Amino acid sequence: MSDHQPARQPGLVPAATAPSRERRPAPGPSSEDTRLAVEIRELVARGAMDEARDRFAGLVATHQRRASRIAYQYLRDAAEADEAVQDAFVKAFGHIASYRDAWPFEVWFTRILINGCLDRRKARARRERWFAPADDVGTRDEARLPFGGVAQLDPEAQLLARERRARLSSAIDRLDGRQRTVFMLCHYGDCTPREVSAMTGLNESTVRVHLFRAARKLRALLGAKS
Amino acid sequence: MIGRSDHLHDDHLVECYFADRRGEALDPPSAEHLADCEACETRYLELSTFLNDVRTDADAEVDALFTTERLRTQQEQILRRLEQVSRSARVISFPAQSASMPMTAVAGRVAPRWLAAAAAAGLFVGVAVGGTLLAPGRVQQSGSTMRVANTPSAAARLAPSPAVLVNAPSVIDSIDDDAFLMQLEFALERPHTQELQPFDALTPHVREIGVNNR
Repeated sequence: MSDHQPARQPGLVPAATAPSRERRPAPGPSSEDTRLAVEIRELVARGAMDEARDRFAGLVATHQRRASRIAYQYLRDAAEADEAVQDAFVKAFGHIASYRDAWPFEVWFTRILINGCLDRRKARARRERWFAPADDVGTRDEARLPFGGVAQLDPEAQLLARERRARLSSAIDRLDGRQRTVFMLCHYGDCTPREVSAMTGLNESTVRVHLFRAARKLRALLGAKS
Repeated sequence: MIGRSDHLHDDHLVECYFADRRGEALDPPSAEHLADCEACETRYLELSTFLNDVRTDADAEVDALFTTERLRTQQEQILRRLEQVSRSARVISFPAQSASMPMTAVAGRVAPRWLAAAAAAGLFVGVAVGGTLLAPGRVQQSGSTMRVANTPSAAARLAPSPAVLVNAPSVIDSIDDDAFLMQLEFALERPHTQELQPFDALTPHVREIGVNNR
């Protein structure tokens, strides 16, 4: 693996090495990321693009795992999620001048990411209307699972894990669009209802209702688990 | 799923779960109730277990797909793309010969000017050639030649015929302008259809009679 390790570029910040399952502190308007985003905005305004890029690499390293998780849950295709995350970061940097620090950078960035994912879902739906899919998306990504992940398990456990994921994916796909968005942002993106409200434009109490209904529906669909 | 009046509503349980996972303090009345009510605590545990399982499964899947190596590659690609963001668009250089010629507004209109000049020249030449070919003398000559060639007998019969006039300048001199113009009209009005010319030659015309009487 290390043989194929790409040469590290200047300004490349090491990606998060461990899955971020730990509780993250609730971001506020004055969080570190927000302050960094404001600095980048000022650097871009001054024309110091190299420095701005270096600083932005830090934001990329902080948010890319979470962004990939959200994008993958939306798109259920690793390659497409990868592209969506890249696009979102590039777009965020390109429009950093329009960033306002009234909301944390995370909220602003997640909004860009979600809009990109929704556009991709729409585009995919249009494609699927005309072209028959080559194979199931879940199966496609299953085949790419590297060793060290679920692929380490014995075949029976692998099969069970695959079935469980397929059921979960199917259940999430059956959620209403808003319920799915709210559930993903809260459950996979660790966002508070207030943040989700800022990202989606929904009322905060509406977000809570969608979250509750999503959880209830998922329990009904995956009832055997609970 | 409707909450009982004595117990916590399901939506409260969901809120408690997400607040707890984010590390936020629970709503005090709800926390108190969960601590006291065994039924609600059981429901809360069931809900937490279910949502934790969902989360664990999803995280395991994503972590297996997005490895550290893959995230590093993704980060490199993002930074590579960011380098292009601030750069202006690349201009493709044209060949040296074309580039050395300054492109001015006047140069940009060269082709239309040439076209206009060519069109004017063509018009002038056309008018000049047309004027030459349709000149009265030439028309008379060509018309008479045709008539003479086609109807030799008629040419011989008509004494003041244009053919005779051409071949005998002394006769032309003696005819006044009116007669000349009448002959010209006569030559032009003659039928050009070959089949009708013999009949025309046999038919006496008022002008011929007038000319002969003079």
